[in-house]
Amino acid sequence: MASINVTIDGKQVSVNSGATLLDAARAAGVDIPTLCYDERTEIYGSCGLCVVEVEGNPKLVKACSTVAADGNVVHTDTARVIESRKTMLELLLSNHVGDCRPPCVQACPAHTDCQGYVGLMALGKTREALELIKEKIPLPASIGRVCPHPCEQECRRGLVEEPVAIAYIKRFCGDWALGLQPGADAGGRQDAAPTNGIAADNECRGGLQPPADSGKSVGIVGAGPYGLSLAYFLRRMGHAVTVYEAMPHAGGMLRYGIPEYRLPKAVVDAEAAGIEAMGVTFRYGTKVGAPEAGGGTVTLDELRGAHDAVCLGIGAWVSTGTGADGEDLPGVVGGIDFLREVVQADGIPDFRGKNVAVVGGGNTAMDACRTAVRLGAENVYNIYRRTKAEMPADLIEIEEAEEEGVVFKNLTNPIRYEAGADGRVCRAVLQVMELGEPDASGRRSPVPVEGKTETIDVDTVILAVGQAVDAAGIAADLELTRKGGVAYDSATFRTSLPGVFCGGDCGNDKISIAVEAIADAKHSSGVIDAFLRGEDAPYRAPYIVERTDVTERTFEDRERECRPPMGVLAPDVRKGSFDEVVAGWTEADAAKEGARCLECGCGDFFECRLYRYANEYDVKPERFAGAYSVSPDDAATLNPSDDGHPFIVREEGKCILCGLCVRVCEEVCGVSALGLVGRGFDTAVKPEMEKPLAESGCVACGQCVAACPTGALQERLPLAKSVPLETEKREAVCEFCGAGCRLVIEECAGLFVKANPARTEDGRLGPICVLGKFGYGTGGAESAGGRLVLRSVAGMPPLHGGGGADPLAAVKAKAASLGSVSFEDAFRTIGEAYRAQGV
Amino acid sequence: MRIVVGEGSCGVASGAKKTEAALAALLAERGGAAGDGSYSGITLEKAGCVGNCYLEPVVDVYGDDGGLAARYVRATEERAADILAGTADDLLISDEDAAFLSQQRRIVLRNAGLINPEKIEEYIAAGGYEALRKALTQMTPEEVIEEVKVAGLRGRGGAGFPTWFKWDAARNADAGGGAKYMVCNADEGDPGAFMDRSVLEGDPHAVLEGMAIGGYAIGAHEGVIYVRAEYPLAITRLEIAIAQAEEKGVLGKDIFGTGYDFSIRIKAGAGAFVCGEETALIASLEGERGMPRLKPPFPAQKGFWKQPTNINNVETFANVPFVIREGGAAFAAYGTEKSKGTKVFALAGKIAKGGLVEVPMGLPLRDVIFGIGGGIKAGRAFKAVQMGGPSGGCIPAALADTPVDYESITQTGAIVGSGGMIVMDEDTCMVDMARYFLDFTRKESCGKCNYCRVGTKRMLEILERITLGEGRDGDIELLEELAGKIKDGSLCGLGQTAPNPVLTTIRYFRNEYEDHIYNKHCTAHYCKALVTYAITDACVGCTKCARNCPTGAISGEVKKPHGIDQAKCVKCGKCEENCAFGAVLRD
Amino acid sequence: MFSEIEPVMEKYAGVPGSLITILQKTQDAYGYLSEDAIAYIAKRTGVPASKIYGVATFYTQFRLKPVGRYILMLCKGTACHVNGAAGIEEAVTEHLGIADGETTADGLFTLDVVACLGCCSLAPVMMVKGPDGEETYGSLTKAKVRSLLDEIAARETEAAS
Repeated sequence: MASINVTIDGKQVSVNSGATLLDAARAAGVDIPTLCYDERTEIYGSCGLCVVEVEGNPKLVKACSTVAADGNVVHTDTARVIESRKTMLELLLSNHVGDCRPPCVQACPAHTDCQGYVGLMALGKTREALELIKEKIPLPASIGRVCPHPCEQECRRGLVEEPVAIAYIKRFCGDWALGLQPGADAGGRQDAAPTNGIAADNECRGGLQPPADSGKSVGIVGAGPYGLSLAYFLRRMGHAVTVYEAMPHAGGMLRYGIPEYRLPKAVVDAEAAGIEAMGVTFRYGTKVGAPEAGGGTVTLDELRGAHDAVCLGIGAWVSTGTGADGEDLPGVVGGIDFLREVVQADGIPDFRGKNVAVVGGGNTAMDACRTAVRLGAENVYNIYRRTKAEMPADLIEIEEAEEEGVVFKNLTNPIRYEAGADGRVCRAVLQVMELGEPDASGRRSPVPVEGKTETIDVDTVILAVGQAVDAAGIAADLELTRKGGVAYDSATFRTSLPGVFCGGDCGNDKISIAVEAIADAKHSSGVIDAFLRGEDAPYRAPYIVERTDVTERTFEDRERECRPPMGVLAPDVRKGSFDEVVAGWTEADAAKEGARCLECGCGDFFECRLYRYANEYDVKPERFAGAYSVSPDDAATLNPSDDGHPFIVREEGKCILCGLCVRVCEEVCGVSALGLVGRGFDTAVKPEMEKPLAESGCVACGQCVAACPTGALQERLPLAKSVPLETEKREAVCEFCGAGCRLVIEECAGLFVKANPARTEDGRLGPICVLGKFGYGTGGAESAGGRLVLRSVAGMPPLHGGGGADPLAAVKAKAASLGSVSFEDAFRTIGEAYRAQGV
Repeated sequence: MRIVVGEGSCGVASGAKKTEAALAALLAERGGAAGDGSYSGITLEKAGCVGNCYLEPVVDVYGDDGGLAARYVRATEERAADILAGTADDLLISDEDAAFLSQQRRIVLRNAGLINPEKIEEYIAAGGYEALRKALTQMTPEEVIEEVKVAGLRGRGGAGFPTWFKWDAARNADAGGGAKYMVCNADEGDPGAFMDRSVLEGDPHAVLEGMAIGGYAIGAHEGVIYVRAEYPLAITRLEIAIAQAEEKGVLGKDIFGTGYDFSIRIKAGAGAFVCGEETALIASLEGERGMPRLKPPFPAQKGFWKQPTNINNVETFANVPFVIREGGAAFAAYGTEKSKGTKVFALAGKIAKGGLVEVPMGLPLRDVIFGIGGGIKAGRAFKAVQMGGPSGGCIPAALADTPVDYESITQTGAIVGSGGMIVMDEDTCMVDMARYFLDFTRKESCGKCNYCRVGTKRMLEILERITLGEGRDGDIELLEELAGKIKDGSLCGLGQTAPNPVLTTIRYFRNEYEDHIYNKHCTAHYCKALVTYAITDACVGCTKCARNCPTGAISGEVKKPHGIDQAKCVKCGKCEENCAFGAVLRD
Repeated sequence: MFSEIEPVMEKYAGVPGSLITILQKTQDAYGYLSEDAIAYIAKRTGVPASKIYGVATFYTQFRLKPVGRYILMLCKGTACHVNGAAGIEEAVTEHLGIADGETTADGLFTLDVVACLGCCSLAPVMMVKGPDGEETYGSLTKAKVRSLLDEIAARETEAAS
């Protein structure tokens, strides 16, 4: 065959005449996106993503259908091409109903794969659950204890009865890694105690064996959640990491700002030790800063000289007040200062018989209150200017504080503190407040009740209303924010000094929760890694499609099932002790809880090409927001188009009308169980006559599922919990008959997940039938030794009768006679498939 | 004497059949009926539409010398007796109305309204099938194509592609031993265009003859006419014409004894505008959903059943007999340098004299609209003319001197298209017009390619919100951006041209868009959400408006001017509709 | 069953590309395309039901539900739109209480808004397809269309009694 020469993006390639521009691009190694192309079917051209420019042609041309001509000079990366593709994707996404990721993942600042690890836990895969958590959160035992878990706030299980206890599951995984066992009196349960120690953690992915040494070194200032996590991520990437910490131990606010009864120091130490064991160096008692500005022990310039990059994560260690008169009196202390002193002084001061007032409504305030209780205070008051409902602290902290005897003086605000004869504070005068009109944010703001005050006697006042950063002493030439934090670019994490990065509470005035700092660590680690390689890779939050229409009604038919009980120390016991209050769960409890997950995230997430392209092209579909062709009302449940099919699930709202399923079903399988219906914007793919798919001529070969570029057609996984997972793939030959179809087997955590047809040498997907596609896997059990096991489907007769005469003998014989088999040769319907097995 | 009643669809809708029946009854009373409609020396016949639809029903009386003796217009059944009695002079066409026809140059419509479309003899008597005889007996296929090339005939369906080029490509295409097909696109889908219907109803043989000549030229032996199911009369007349042509031996086997076979069959479309697109039409002919396919391959290479196929429009075919009989040069004598011959336009909308108009290409729009069409109805002001239907655009009054030829019209942003000319006056909202067309294309999009399927919907949504007074700053720019990308990225002509009505209205009437978006005001006082009703001093207090107001928003004392409570008004317009004194003002 | 279309089947079932013709003739015979009819056509022609359904839902001519005795084909072509077709539709909708595509409870009328009837010079136009064939009404006004509908209804009531 004659060959022709084509230049694509400057690369010359020689192809056979008759080849399309898409063929030529592939030959040249130039990626052209497409959502509707399949070698096995006639060219269709619906998606329009494959447009390119050909010199001399004023129009954009579709690469999939344009036959290359000798001498064509093609450009796939012009602004016009990229704009056209981008808008095309935006239009598709503007009509795409679904959740790429579940709300829990989206709510987590670190985008931890909550659905993934909760699902793995449900499947009994603790180790894999832990590994998945550590992809984003290197300190699961600590964070699992203290995180206010925004994930759970968004968890849709909350629309049924109560959210999945994502944090508890995370804590379990973290404890499991550390070899910690749940409290002995945890609800009276005594499950087999985990025996794996810290070493077990280090076996985890990316643990003791970081990739080859990169030859680069990074200095991290601060061993708090940001610094520790960043050390973990960078070390995993092969960089040498040294952490400089001013305090004598690691953990930062986790250690010095959170009381022992919530987060035992031993847990923080153990997690930090795991990171140290990876080869991270810690220098304690080392404060970074200009000596003249207040006594740093090492200067930033010295660190910059010693490392290829320096990252600042010094946190926000300054307590702020409300500005009331008398805040400077002796006996008025900052909340985090108080908590830190308690840690450093090991339980002192002695509050026995004293009245302690704690000002503030957040978790630090609750920590201070409950610590004061444990130090023996006679009365502990909490002073907060709004009602309990508005308190930012976790509800459980408020409830437990109340149980421990803390007196809540809501709707009061300190006006002034008065000193006694000894010069120490002895009284607090409080302004009584009431809730006024809602402000712009919708919150009712407190307003003073004119002339109404209240006075309480106090011995100590703890101000837990806010924190600030003290970064002034780090380096004179480091640019700071107006409020005194370190200023940095939120996408590149770069400060004003070259090679100096920043994250966590100390930067950009965004003092927040620990997981936010850990998110910064995750996101900045990629940026810093790129920087060390001389590249620039700013962080960009991925674009995802989300549903906002899910309500209680969506889950009306779900069975109610609450969390397994969690053991907590009784108030009387815990009041006098710093022992950990929450016992933690056993593995069985954690797994049981995991099963409550509603599986909101798209099962196709890890394969979805629409998602991939959407992010490659940096889409902003909001500008085209409009009606959906499949009304979300019609798609009110999370699995909208329940066809009662044993293997295939349709989600019409995710269909992008590429027509692949229809064409493959007709042209490759010769079945035509699916067809296009209607026209215009409302065109849809439906089973014949809009019947349920199970009642159509579908032969369940699964080719449509394999062809679907999005999650519109998915398969029911042979797993007890259908969790979207990144799988490992291997090739195998189908063992059902003599046809020898090659399969790609996908596994995760030692579980068989799915089988797909393998590609033939010319890049086409090969044949597959119901047996190869859906016949393998066993409801969650391991695929032992890589061997495939046959699957049974709940409610359906087993595919393989087992024993006696081979039920598939006839199929095998036929397949052998044909040399290869496609499904229509074997059965016409699923029912027939089952009948063939003598059921 | 012959009496001929114009019975195109317009005529029938205006009561032509009733007029015919009344005439027949009266004649029967006089002299007894004869089966063929001949009554003691007077024959009663029907013809297609002569074109001046606004005067329907039209009854022509021919003298014994064959010449037209009288043309009666608005000849309803009640006046049948007067016509026969010769006392219907008030119905005689005025000179001014007669000028509607006399200003035209008729090639395509040469027989329309003059011959009985159901009698092949009349077509033959008018010189019909002479061109086919000439082509088959005196010309090679190449010479036929050459003649069409000399004529400069371009496709009348919309795109204006040179006909000879398509024929030549189809002639040279390798059919691989299989058949070639000649297809007539009679799926006249543009809303507001009815030239093809009139030709099919009034002169079906002209199309058959053109197809046969074309079939000979490309080497096809089978012709298919894909005609809209909404045109039942056209289908009936085509069926009759084909049967008569076969009987006469001008279609079928061994035509004129030359050994050339050519047969034609009819396929009724089933209602899909997109089937005007060639590849979609082919899919539909094959019994599939009418979804366009990617080109190349072009139909000339792989068309109907993957065989070489040529598709031309009704009007194109109707021109062919003239070109062959009179010679390409005679045809090319009309028109401009690049746009030869004549073009039929369907004048409708707010025009005084609506109907079919055939003029040489290049005549200024003004001459068509004012000279022939008599200007705007009811003395309103001319605002714009929409040409080319959903693929075309609105040409503003300021450009009324644009010559109607392919190039000049394309320059305005509109297209000649199939020839629909919808005239608009000051009461027409241009944003609403754009919305109207996008609503059309959104429904008619085949749903295959995303730019068209989703893009037109999104454009429509933006236009809808503008007409509802919810337009936002940036909407015009967003429309322009989407329009550009849909034109660039759509699979077929429908999508590629769908944004045109929006782009031209933005181009010429941007102020109206801005008025809607920023002032929340509809310049033409059309968009319901943006108008307010008020009662003027002209109110006599008849209370009719108050009685018809569904929300009780109107109050007032009898015989005293009424008022509207704007808070209660739902802008239904019932007051304006019911006011006999013009006292309701819409702003 | 389906004996009315037997001649159609005999003529067209084996002819490739005849699906639309078969569907048209089936609809002519039964007024609409029932699920059973589509299944029957699939069986006779060998064309998969999914394809037939796809074709039937693509073209506006086909109906999958029974229609009224009179189909009101209301034109909304450009000329009609410019000349107030929206108002005519409103009048029909209000008068009969049905929207586009719907049939009155008494089964008398089905409203079918169509793209263009090609009678633009008589705009606004409506074609009424009844048991005695189709008739086109032009230059409509709200009042005209109301009385037309009343007339038909009265005629039918009279015929019934």
